[in-house]
This record gives sequence, C-alpha cells and structure tokens, in this order.
Amino acid sequence: MKRSAGDKASQIVIIVLLSLLCVTVIYPFLYMLAISLNQGNDAAKGGVYLWPRAFTFYNFRIVLGNEVIQHSYWITIARTILGTVLGLLVTLLAAFGLSYRALPMRGTILGYVLLTMLFSGGLIPFYIQLHDLHLLNSFWVYIVPSAFSAWNMFVMMKFIQGIPEALIESAEMDGAHPFRVLWSIILPLSKPMLAALGLFTGVMHWNDWFAGAFFVSNQKLIPVQTFLQQLLSAQDISAVLGSNNNVEALARGTSLANVTLMSIKMATVMVSAIPILCVYPFLQRYFVKGVLIGSVKG
Amino acid sequence: MLERLAKYRWQYVMIAPAVILLLLFSYIPMAGIQVAFKDFHIGYTIWNAPWTGVENFSFLKDDQFWIVVKNTIIIAVLKFVFGFPAPIILALLINEVRHSGFKRFVQSVSYLPHFFSWIVVAYILQSLLTLDGGLVNQIVTKTGSDPIFFLGSTEWFRPMIVASGLWKEVGWNTILYLAAITTIDPQLYEAAKVEGAGRLAQIRHITLPGIMPTISIVLILSMPSLIAVGMDQIYPLMNPANQPVADVLDTYILRSGLQQGYFGMATAVGLLSSVISLILVLVTNQTARKINGEGLW
Repeated sequence: MKRSAGDKASQIVIIVLLSLLCVTVIYPFLYMLAISLNQGNDAAKGGVYLWPRAFTFYNFRIVLGNEVIQHSYWITIARTILGTVLGLLVTLLAAFGLSYRALPMRGTILGYVLLTMLFSGGLIPFYIQLHDLHLLNSFWVYIVPSAFSAWNMFVMMKFIQGIPEALIESAEMDGAHPFRVLWSIILPLSKPMLAALGLFTGVMHWNDWFAGAFFVSNQKLIPVQTFLQQLLSAQDISAVLGSNNNVEALARGTSLANVTLMSIKMATVMVSAIPILCVYPFLQRYFVKGVLIGSVKG
Repeated sequence: MLERLAKYRWQYVMIAPAVILLLLFSYIPMAGIQVAFKDFHIGYTIWNAPWTGVENFSFLKDDQFWIVVKNTIIIAVLKFVFGFPAPIILALLINEVRHSGFKRFVQSVSYLPHFFSWIVVAYILQSLLTLDGGLVNQIVTKTGSDPIFFLGSTEWFRPMIVASGLWKEVGWNTILYLAAITTIDPQLYEAAKVEGAGRLAQIRHITLPGIMPTISIVLILSMPSLIAVGMDQIYPLMNPANQPVADVLDTYILRSGLQQGYFGMATAVGLLSSVISLILVLVTNQTARKINGEGLW
C-alpha cells in the first residue's frame, strides 16, 4: 500500500514523541547511576550527566558494607519471600474453596469479603488492632495482615471458574479429596495466573515502606524502603553511616572525604532498584495477562 | 443442611484462614471506629475507653482542617484531570506505531516505573530537582536564572505531584486500553479507508467509540479512590516548607493520630473519609447500573 507524505510525517512525529517518553523513564536511572559511580565531591561540582567523570565503586562499597543497609536488605528479602508465599497460599485456598458454586452460604461469604473492599475502619483502628494483637514492632506485622488479598482472591476465583468443570468432576468421581484436586489439577493449570499475582504481591512487599515506618520502631526490623525513606530527608552523612563498620573505615583514614550525602543516597537507591530492573524482563510476559484477567468485571 | 455442610467441610477449612484474617484486620478495625466517639489512649482497649460523645469532631471547627480538605480536593482533581485522559492518548499513540519492535519497546519501558516504589520516585525527583547540583537547577543556573527550590516550594509542589504521578502510572494504565483496541474489528478500519477516512477520522469514529466501554469502566473504578490521594506519594515529599499545600487528609490522620497521639480525633477524620469513599462507591455503582445495565456487583 502506498503511503502518503502526511502519513509518513505523522509516523515520525509519533515516534519522536514516544522516544521522548522512553527517555524520561530511562534517563533518570542512568543519571542516578552515573552520580552513584562518580566520586562524590567531583559530582557535586556538577556536569555529570550521563557518564561518571571520576569513576569509582567507592559509594557502592560503603553502601553494601553498611550493616544497617545489609540488615534492612535481609528483612526485605525475608518478608518478600515469606509474604508472597503465604499470601498466595491463603488467597488461593480461599479462591478455590469459594469457586464451588454449590457451596452452602457461598453468597454470604462472598459478601463478607466484598464488604471489606468497600469500607474500612481506617488507619487508626487498624493500628490499635495491631497493637492489641502485639504485632507492632514485630516482623510478622509485614506478613500476617496482608496475607489475604480480597482483590487477588476474586481474580483467582474467576480464573478457577474458567477451568472446565468436567476436569474437576472426573477427579472427584475417582474419589479425589478437594486438596488433591487443588494440588493436581488447579495448581498446574493456574501457574501463569499465580505468577502474575505472585509478582504483584512480591513487588508490593519489596516496595512497601509504610509498615516499616509506622508499625515498627526497632531499627533492626526496618526494610530497605523504610531505610530509604528515613535517608531521603537526612541532612548529614554521619546520621546515615553513624553506628556501623564504616566508622572504622573512617578511622583508618579511608578517603571518606570524597563521599557526599548525594552520592551515597544515589548508590543506596540504586541498590534497592536494581533487583527489580533485573527481574523485570523475565516477568513482563506474565503481568499483562494478570492485569487483563483482573480487569474482567468480577 | 448439616449433611451439605459436612460434604463441603474441606472447602470451609480452605476458606477459614481468609475469613479469620478479614475478621482480625478488617472487621475488628471497623468496630474500632467507636474510638471516634471515645477518649482513647494506648493502655485502653477499644471497648473500655470512656465515651466522650462528639467531642473528637471538634476538628470541624478548625481552620487547619478545612485547608487540608481543600488541599485534598485540589490534588485529587488535578491528578484526575491530567491522569485520566493521559493513558488514553498514550494508547492511541502507541497503537499508531507501525514498527512492532519499537511498539513493544515503548510498552516495556512505559510500564517500568509502575514497579518502583514512591520512595524511589522521590529520590529521582530529589536527584533532578535539588538545589545542590540537581540536574534541572544546573540547567536553570546555566541559562542565567536563580536556582529554584522545587522540593520546598508551595508553587511547585502540585505540578511535581501531578507530573510524578503521571510519569509513574501512565504506561501501566494503557494496558487495558491497548487490549481493548486489539478487540476492535479490523474490517471497520478497512471500510473507513475505502470511504477515504484519514488516520484522525479513523481514531475519532472507530477507535474511540470502540474503547468507550473500557473508558467508562476505568472511570467508574477510579472514582472511589479519588480522595485517597495517597500518603504513599505525598508523605515522602512533604516538608515544613511545602506543608501548607501538601497536607492532605491521609497525612493529617497520620500526623494527628500516630505521631501526636490524638487517636480519637484521627479516627473521626478517618471515619469521615471512609464514609465519603463509601458514598462515592455506591453512587458510582448506581451510575454503572444506569449506563451499562448492570453494576459492578
């Protein structure tokens, strides 16, 4: 088909616009990476835009060698793994149980779940409840309250109801226990859905800073994102690197003079973002599917 | 009846953990709303704290509270006005791209920011906008102007919130529209071409009407969360300098409740905002029934 000149021009305009959009997404990360790989004092003079001028891994060495950051990293990894596994388990079990259309009181239970999506007691009563259950200042505050997701449950239930009933019925005819049906039939068929919901749950845990900031006061329990949130408004570098082994490095006369608060901040935020950048390409094909199934009116 | 219950006993076992978790973390907190009418301090339980009537609602006479309400509404409306059409426009643009490799690339890149936390976004803003060596201010000073303290300014706060919100979610929100576009019958476009419709005419007469149902669903679903303008986004960027415009209902509850210990009063503010969102949900659902013939439930 012959294309008119106007058509070609509009293609060019669109490609330029979309390329600009991509640049606004990618460039900030490259900029932060360049700052974090540059000597702090040198970067503070300005002029580092894309490529480090005085290249050094020193900022990353300090960040990765910092006990507080290391510890917060382990907390984040632990809660992400445990939170995702438990969250998927509780949600999948409820979704499977409620997918039986003949289940007595099914409508009542669905209503019970739905109501929590429409109305909530708000932050303060939730906080008081966490206090009464002795979950404040405990690692479990990250895991238990978010173990069930009503939204994910409805998505999952809808997905399971899309599986041909004949499959389940024939298994039941052979005397399969419901747990057996779940394990041998539902689970293998729901892998893509579980991958998508697992991704969303995992990202939620990885990115959450709120619980660490307000439900926990013990610094030993804060996740990376909460550490970053505290660091965001920090005014001087000693507040950040205060009580840890970097102080020894300081005492040994390492060139901490080259480090600025900004370069340390950029290195820390890169350390929290790089894992997501690494898994992103592998998970991409799942999440689009997840969103689409989730969006079907439930 | 008992027989049927017994037949499904294992299904109930499967559902039980979810039911218990909702009881603990949704329903008991709902009962905790009574704290709004009580004089609560840590040490009391929600049941044995003394009643005070509507004393906790005295914030309604507080000027500060109405500034917070105003801020919440302004930010909600701005985010909606810019945030709602943007993904539709972006989806239309992406759909016009003929080179499929470039199309996929743009989609992958534009989804990416959705997966980063608001804290990371706050760092990006700080790295670009800060006074000491931030990229934007380097450019501003090079052109001979005085550097602008974006992060601590009342004029720049709202544009910053709207722009960063767009940046983070616009790509992600195109997913549904792009999917809706692919379901449009290609024959419609062929027919339009035969009749001499240009690209813009095709968008106006085929693509837009084709994704209208999706647009209305997204619109309906976005209504209830309208006033929850997000402490996730705002709290990290709030500081004493921008607080006059940055303080919204969520941050107000956080500050007066968890940080200053006015539990009763913060619960009362929370109750008010929960009721407003419930009303938005119900109104929305009624509207959906009228438009689509059936509601969301």
